Amino acid sequence: MSSVAKKRILKEYAECSNDLPSGMKVIFDEANLTKWDVVMEGPAESPYAVCLELAMCFDKRSLMHQGGHFKLEINFPNDYPFKPPVVNFKTKVYHPNVSNDDKGSMCLGMLRPEEWKPPNKVISVLHLIQNLLVEPNIDDAIETSIANDYKTNRAEFNKTAQDWVKRYAK
Amino acid sequence: MDGSDPDDERVDELNTLQAIYPELEIDISHPPTPEAHIELPISPTNPLSVKFDSESTVHQLSHLPPLILDIILTEGYPNERPPKVRLSTNPPWLPGRHLNDLERACTRLWEEYGGLQVLFAYISFLQEAAENAFSVTAQEPGGVLLLPLTLKSSLLSSSSQIAQSDFESGTFSCVVCLEPKKGSSCHRLRHCGHVFCKSCLQDYYNNCIKEGDVSNVKCLSPDCGKSKSDKTRKNRLLSPKELLQIPLSPETVRRYAEIKRKKKLESDPSIVWCPRKWCQGPMRTSKYPKIGDLSQMDESDVEEDAAAPPDQPQEEPVYRGTANTDRLVVCESCNLAFCKICLAVWHGDYYICRKREARELTAEEQASLDYITKNTSPCPTCSAPVEKTQGCNHMKCFQCNSHFCYLCSAWLDADNPYMHYKNPKNKSCYMKLFHGAEGEEGMQFGGRRGAEQEAEYWELQALRIQNEEFTD
Repeated sequence: MSSVAKKRILKEYAECSNDLPSGMKVIFDEANLTKWDVVMEGPAESPYAVCLELAMCFDKRSLMHQGGHFKLEINFPNDYPFKPPVVNFKTKVYHPNVSNDDKGSMCLGMLRPEEWKPPNKVISVLHLIQNLLVEPNIDDAIETSIANDYKTNRAEFNKTAQDWVKRYAK
Repeated sequence: MDGSDPDDERVDELNTLQAIYPELEIDISHPPTPEAHIELPISPTNPLSVKFDSESTVHQLSHLPPLILDIILTEGYPNERPPKVRLSTNPPWLPGRHLNDLERACTRLWEEYGGLQVLFAYISFLQEAAENAFSVTAQEPGGVLLLPLTLKSSLLSSSSQIAQSDFESGTFSCVVCLEPKKGSSCHRLRHCGHVFCKSCLQDYYNNCIKEGDVSNVKCLSPDCGKSKSDKTRKNRLLSPKELLQIPLSPETVRRYAEIKRKKKLESDPSIVWCPRKWCQGPMRTSKYPKIGDLSQMDESDVEEDAAAPPDQPQEEPVYRGTANTDRLVVCESCNLAFCKICLAVWHGDYYICRKREARELTAEEQASLDYITKNTSPCPTCSAPVEKTQGCNHMKCFQCNSHFCYLCSAWLDADNPYMHYKNPKNKSCYMKLFHGAEGEEGMQFGGRRGAEQEAEYWELQALRIQNEEFTD
């Protein structure tokens, strides 16, 4: 990886730590700049937040955490920022824009190689992901059956999404 | 400074003034009349609209040659007499009547001040007036200042020179490497005005050109050319001339220009290629001029939208012995004169010939063809071979923008492309959207490519069995 790319990733990390979307945490290993682990809470206004009654069942500390915890991995290609970072959900999530397999891939908007522009930053990618959890992008759905569910039967969609949160995203 | 009176309040005033304006030149070698000289830069907030003689183009000048102020402080200043001031510009672009008005303003100001030192106030007044270009266009028809043609080149070049030196001394934050950079190591793109540092532009464009991806040699900014309301600012490809200015190496820029030209030649069905195997140059044509002096190539074509609609199929003309030279073409590389119908060396006008299609392939051509069939999937619309290097199997053709599946070359619904991977009936592609995403080996293809893959596999198996039997 070029020194320009390394410098830029370090800069972005410094910038990120002040300006992360709420409920996100980046775990960053200086020895390996090219892979970031992100832990994200499901946004409160989405079905990916753990409902409070459930939290009550556990000890009091869990009251503080409203959201499900989703692990993501961001991998930077060698020619970053000229090529987009690759985002994978490590935690299974029931969402129209995340592939429902062991990879949890995302391939939409600025993450598509032909849409990516070098001035785009990881922070906007993180915002994009958080916004997608609140409002999926149905027009560019990767999981059409989930998108269908979301469109035609929102109650069912919310229920399944929450079931998955309870099951996988503690 | 000989002979100057240190108590002279005129000299005091000039010294104080010089502390404020270091560029002020003082001449006190003639004690009775100390003199000073200063040039005031003129960069109006709104560019000045200027027209030269009968030309119809209106130029917007953001920077103009400075206003030169010569001051003579005669005996009696400041108590009894106003300072003598003379204003000028070089070249003389500011009309005389404005200069006179501005000169008179000095006396008026002196009167208002009641005979006090007035120079600082006067210079501030001039600077303020310069911000709206002394309102010179206020009384002009259409708000445009009319100037003689002889001033044109010097005014235009001085405006861009001043702009350039302002730019070079400024500081910019490059949005690609996120580093603050001096203007002198940055480049402002000519069409959209976005600024990037030179080394990022070089990295990016060099790589694009190396990979042959010339359609990305345009502004890096994500929202450049996206605004629908402003069609004139389409995201343009950079011109070879501008690339040389960044600078990129002449060899790279030449490659860029050649690739762009080649793409145009190749997408034009009326272009015929030289039949000599070692040459294969395109026929001579005035439609796409050969690449000459790169520094003169200033056009920055708008990125072509989807491929041009194919020409209407025409009826095959009959080529008989008539005196038409339609068939004669000349190769631009090796100058071979040949017939564009039968691809033979020129046979004269009276020869009846037949259209010749595919040529025999050389070993090298066969090898690259093999590589292409093995490593690419054809676009179902335009057959352009597409090689995937990363990402999912939902492809969009770089040539015609068709959506298709990389695994089986099936057309995909642009509105709902992922459906294809959800249908168990599509055996070769079901649940395989990300199959081979990281360039992994052993991908199973469908469609034509799949059949070829299978044939190759069985051929190898057959060979193996044969060998086993042979060694037994």
